[in-house]
Amino acid sequence: MLGRILFLAWAAGALSTASAQTKTFPYAFTEQDLDNGLRLVTIPTDAPNLVSVYIVVQTGSRNEIEPGKTGFAHLFEHMMFRGTEKYPAKRYGEILQQAGAASNAYTGDDLTVYHTTFSKEDLPDILAMEADRFQNLKFTPEDLKTEAGAVLGEYNKNSSNPASKMNEVLRDTAFDRSTYQHTTMGFIADVRDMGNQYDYGVKFFDHYYRPEYTTIVVTGDIDPKVVKTLVEKSFGPWKRGTYHPDIPAEPTQEGPRENKIDWASPTLPMLNISFHGPAYSDSAKDAAALYLVSRLAFSQTSPLFQKLVVAEQKLDSVGASMPMKVDPYLFSISARLKNPADMEYAKAEILKTVESLKQDLLPADRLAAVKSRERYAFPLQLDNSDSVADAVAEFIALRRTPGTIDKYYEVLASLTPEDLRAAARKYLIESGRTIVTLKGPEAAK
Amino acid sequence: MKRLVLLLLALPLAAQIRTVTLPGKGAVVDLRIVLTTGAVKDPPGKSGLAKLTAAMIAGGGTKEMTYRQVVDAFFPLAASLGSQVDQEMTVFSGATHVDNLDAYYKLVRTMLLEPGWREDDFRRLKDQAINSLKVGLRGSNDEELGKEVLYSALYAGTPYGFYAQGAVGALESITIDDVKQYYKRHYTQSNLILGLAGGYPAPFLATMRKDFAALPEKDESPLPKITPANIEHSKAIIVEKKTDPVAFSLGYPIDVKRNDPDYAALLLMQSYFGPHRLSSGRLFQRIREIRGINYGDYAYIEYFPRGSGQFQPDPNIVRRNQIFQIWIRPVEAPTAVFSLRLAVYELNKLVQEGIPAEDFDRTKAFLTKYLDVLTSTKSSELGYAIDSLYYGIPAYGTYIKTAVAKLTREQVNAAIKKHLRPDRLQIVAVSDHAAALKAQILDEAPAPIKYNSPPPAEVLEEDKTVAKWKLGLRDEDIKIVPVAQVFQ
Repeated sequence: MLGRILFLAWAAGALSTASAQTKTFPYAFTEQDLDNGLRLVTIPTDAPNLVSVYIVVQTGSRNEIEPGKTGFAHLFEHMMFRGTEKYPAKRYGEILQQAGAASNAYTGDDLTVYHTTFSKEDLPDILAMEADRFQNLKFTPEDLKTEAGAVLGEYNKNSSNPASKMNEVLRDTAFDRSTYQHTTMGFIADVRDMGNQYDYGVKFFDHYYRPEYTTIVVTGDIDPKVVKTLVEKSFGPWKRGTYHPDIPAEPTQEGPRENKIDWASPTLPMLNISFHGPAYSDSAKDAAALYLVSRLAFSQTSPLFQKLVVAEQKLDSVGASMPMKVDPYLFSISARLKNPADMEYAKAEILKTVESLKQDLLPADRLAAVKSRERYAFPLQLDNSDSVADAVAEFIALRRTPGTIDKYYEVLASLTPEDLRAAARKYLIESGRTIVTLKGPEAAK
Repeated sequence: MKRLVLLLLALPLAAQIRTVTLPGKGAVVDLRIVLTTGAVKDPPGKSGLAKLTAAMIAGGGTKEMTYRQVVDAFFPLAASLGSQVDQEMTVFSGATHVDNLDAYYKLVRTMLLEPGWREDDFRRLKDQAINSLKVGLRGSNDEELGKEVLYSALYAGTPYGFYAQGAVGALESITIDDVKQYYKRHYTQSNLILGLAGGYPAPFLATMRKDFAALPEKDESPLPKITPANIEHSKAIIVEKKTDPVAFSLGYPIDVKRNDPDYAALLLMQSYFGPHRLSSGRLFQRIREIRGINYGDYAYIEYFPRGSGQFQPDPNIVRRNQIFQIWIRPVEAPTAVFSLRLAVYELNKLVQEGIPAEDFDRTKAFLTKYLDVLTSTKSSELGYAIDSLYYGIPAYGTYIKTAVAKLTREQVNAAIKKHLRPDRLQIVAVSDHAAALKAQILDEAPAPIKYNSPPPAEVLEEDKTVAKWKLGLRDEDIKIVPVAQVFQ
């Protein structure tokens, strides 16, 4: 049943000084593929009595390539809780409750994750139940309609936040063909129509809920051999699929773009300046270099932050991000202003900083400081079985192995001021830029 | 842990620094420096002073260092000092790799014991506090807004009636001298609890104790009484703001804290009726799962700020009085009144019938095991241990497990009947069309629900009862408040 063992690594047991210097991911892990293509990653951690199971499906809103069907990966995350013949929704809930489980799911651009943390004695029951719903999910058109209502409720819950709107408009303006054009929630018209898309729902499950798209990460108080046997037994019969989506590539942007949002409620004005950036890589330098640029040139310690937020106090906040994504995404600088009259000034100051990144080299001592920070920051967030699995899940979506973590951080550690400038010159260019602004009504002032 | 807490309680409080420690082998050290003071000590008209004081310490410079220098020093350590202020507690917390403990602690010590009190830091942090009310709470988070308005309404006339994060006008009136005064009066050894967990070296605690003995010995100010007014019958506040859906929070004061005999019974009730962000709760099942009305529906017996973004509550938010609360996440406007009636109907059913026999043992199993999840990080374990010291109870997990094991269904149902009142609720709604919503709440005619996809027949049958469930509110019981006046 169990295929070849791909990789077996034993690092120093717990987080230690030595490991912090040589390895960023401080835990030993095992990684195995079943014949049907399912991958199992086990990571014992110091978590008395607790186990976390993260089932990562490498399908997210990025996979939503059909027009009118945006938001389906997320809807499907909800559908997975509708139950099977063996475990109807009520029974499923009762077993989780009996296990004292904290259980939930989330969807992103590149992944859908089902996660549960519970007492170790319940591991066999939970794995059997999870295996059943991934193979035998059963839902009716009525179930889909009911769940579509809950999804609309989730959209509504987020809709009072202007930051959600900024994200929606930014993606829609910056992208033309990439599926990153829409958010994980989807376009609102599609969300409202979801209840009528039963046939597509069935097709979506058939395409993507397959072992070759799925990785199970188990962390905590575990014996990897026992976990392996349990997973083999319950997930072994799952049939491999055949579907491969043709996800469109984004053409090169040919000139700067702008968009404006008028927000009906009082709010502080917001500004986002984004540039098309590279996809995640654990070998090429650009993505890691732009990540460090985001930390050095726009974080709390940056001259820009110190000038606009601390000294002049014209901005309420400023920051930048270079998210890790499967396909090329955006390097984004976001700011919240105190006064709408400062919008042009803030824009000019941010763009001045962007220009300087292409001209000047960042100081070597600041680069050393940010590298030190990154080396400590990743292990510091791993403070229970859940956070270890959660951190690993993000990388599973990208390269399907925790092994990519150390590789990525090695690239990051090797970067020079010249690498950062080269990445800025290549990506932070006017023709690839999108600016979105948001202002409230006059009363906001 | 249990022995340690008891031992510390036996010490005289005055001029004694209390400590809670969870030594371990890991390479991370967690720090929680707690002061048993908070918004409850804000002087009249200065709501938000405790919060600004903590913000000045965690987000400002020290005597020797500007804020920029502080931030620069933290940066390579990947560390920071966070602050959290509620009514009764102020906590400064952070974590560091043991490699960096000396450098980290030196910064933290200086920030807490030698604050810089700079004018420019003050201006920035005050603006931030005001904007987080105007833009954050009022502008972009209808769910939290509803919850906080509920607390303010239920505790009106007591210090808890003022939002711990302040009010716009009060924050504007606070001066830097107010902050210095607050620090001098309330950042004392008698209010201090030093919490330490992880792989710190043995002598470290003694160093901390010695350093913090620099604080004044005693807080001489009296602790005000917290006695919420009795609610005679249900009433409502509708916060009017531009927003599409409608968010609801409803509740009733209960005089049950962690150290009260009925606490474990009510915690079990919460685990059955509406455990936070979990799908097994009765409210979640009936409102979201079966009817698809919204994203989630939960119930609480302790204050849980920021719950819309978290799966587990933060520790060190202790209170001397609590409320029972139901949280209905935003619903589409046409379904609003039906949803409200459904929640009150379910609460009434809970009080009348109690937890059903078939659910009781499973709920007990859930709560007993879920306690491990609540304290699964070192930092949360440390936080809970500090809270247990405050409430004078043994380690939380053991304490609840022991109490729950002994509970019978009859006892729990009796506690539910004793403390929960479906006919005496304070209701808060956040809605764009306040007048229309008020008319609908007052209208005793049925408020039927229209489904995209009809649920099973038994649910449709139940809907007939729910649609006409009487909320019992009169015209004078419903107040409409424009959002700009809330926490103003």
